[in-house]
Amino acid sequence: MKKCRFEGLIDGYLLNKLSERDKEAFEEHYFNCSSCFQKLQERDIIIRTVKNNPDLFEQKEPARSSVMANLRREVASFFTPKQLALAGVTAALFVAIIFVVVPRPEGPAPVFLLTDEEAIRGSSITLISPVIDMYQIPTSFEWKKLGEDIEYQVAIYNSELLWKTNTKENRITLPDDIKAKMVPGEKYSWQVKAFGSDGSLIAVSSRVQFTIAAQ
Amino acid sequence: MPTKKVDEDIRELVVRYRPIITFRVRKALGASNTDCEDLVSEIISQVLEKIKTGEFRGESSLGTFVYTISSRRIVDYIREKTKIMKYAPEPLPFPDPQETLETQETANKVRKALSKLKPKYRDIIYLYYYQELSREEVAAKLGISTRKVSELVNYALKLIRNEIKK
Repeated sequence: MKKCRFEGLIDGYLLNKLSERDKEAFEEHYFNCSSCFQKLQERDIIIRTVKNNPDLFEQKEPARSSVMANLRREVASFFTPKQLALAGVTAALFVAIIFVVVPRPEGPAPVFLLTDEEAIRGSSITLISPVIDMYQIPTSFEWKKLGEDIEYQVAIYNSELLWKTNTKENRITLPDDIKAKMVPGEKYSWQVKAFGSDGSLIAVSSRVQFTIAAQ
Repeated sequence: MPTKKVDEDIRELVVRYRPIITFRVRKALGASNTDCEDLVSEIISQVLEKIKTGEFRGESSLGTFVYTISSRRIVDYIREKTKIMKYAPEPLPFPDPQETLETQETANKVRKALSKLKPKYRDIIYLYYYQELSREEVAAKLGISTRKVSELVNYALKLIRNEIKK
């Protein structure tokens, strides 16, 4: 039986992929062609059943499953089950030799000495306030306490160091003379370093920026 | 013309075009639209009326004549609705085939056929009809030619059709 030239438009029409012109032409055609209309009705039910029954296809993601199935088939055809098991045991032994049997050099842990100007990457002091832009000059600076008997060094910067002070508390109040130096609209940053009782540097916070909103 | 002959012609016309008009109306308005049946009846009445009053002069085929009346009525319906509602009723893209017992039975057969398909045919149906990928996209995804995609789709449809015919 000769195929009608409009038959190729059935899927496009049902999946709404046709241009308006093709859609109208096809609609007019199926009012005149009983063969196309019959096929259209049948395809419509097939497509709607497919669309409403995704569970029928759920067992797999097609392309990936095919690739995996091919891979499994390839491996299976290459090795016998006995050979596969042997390969697994060999691999496990190899890993064991590397991590357990081969001795690892146990030298002393490296010692890092930090000067005042060096920074440790990754902060271990959490700054609490100010950490966002402020509407007015902050009166105090606060951070999370690390432990007992720790001295904190707080530094406030604009383009250069504005003020530096030490405290054993986890909060400082800004002196009036420093407050007077801070200008609305400017950008500032601050950082806290923690020192142990022997004076060694324990932790450094990240340097947090904040802006004082212009009045 | 004898009345009996006219009645037969009308019956034949209704039997032939009702399913086509219904399909067109449902596609435009959605199968769940409760106005579908009324609209189909209205269209058929209009067609018969226009034939009786001699408006159909045979310049086009009867199919095209029925198609034109159907399309105009659908456009009018959507226009009327948009006057009342802000948006025209949006048809559900792919409603579950449940309209008639026959449709339900066919859908059951399609489901059965789909579950019996070999993975390669089911994969093709899934990518082409469910995911709505183009033949080229399916070909790229499966690493086969577009011609092969067409062959697989057609063969899968043939297998489903065979199940429907049982």
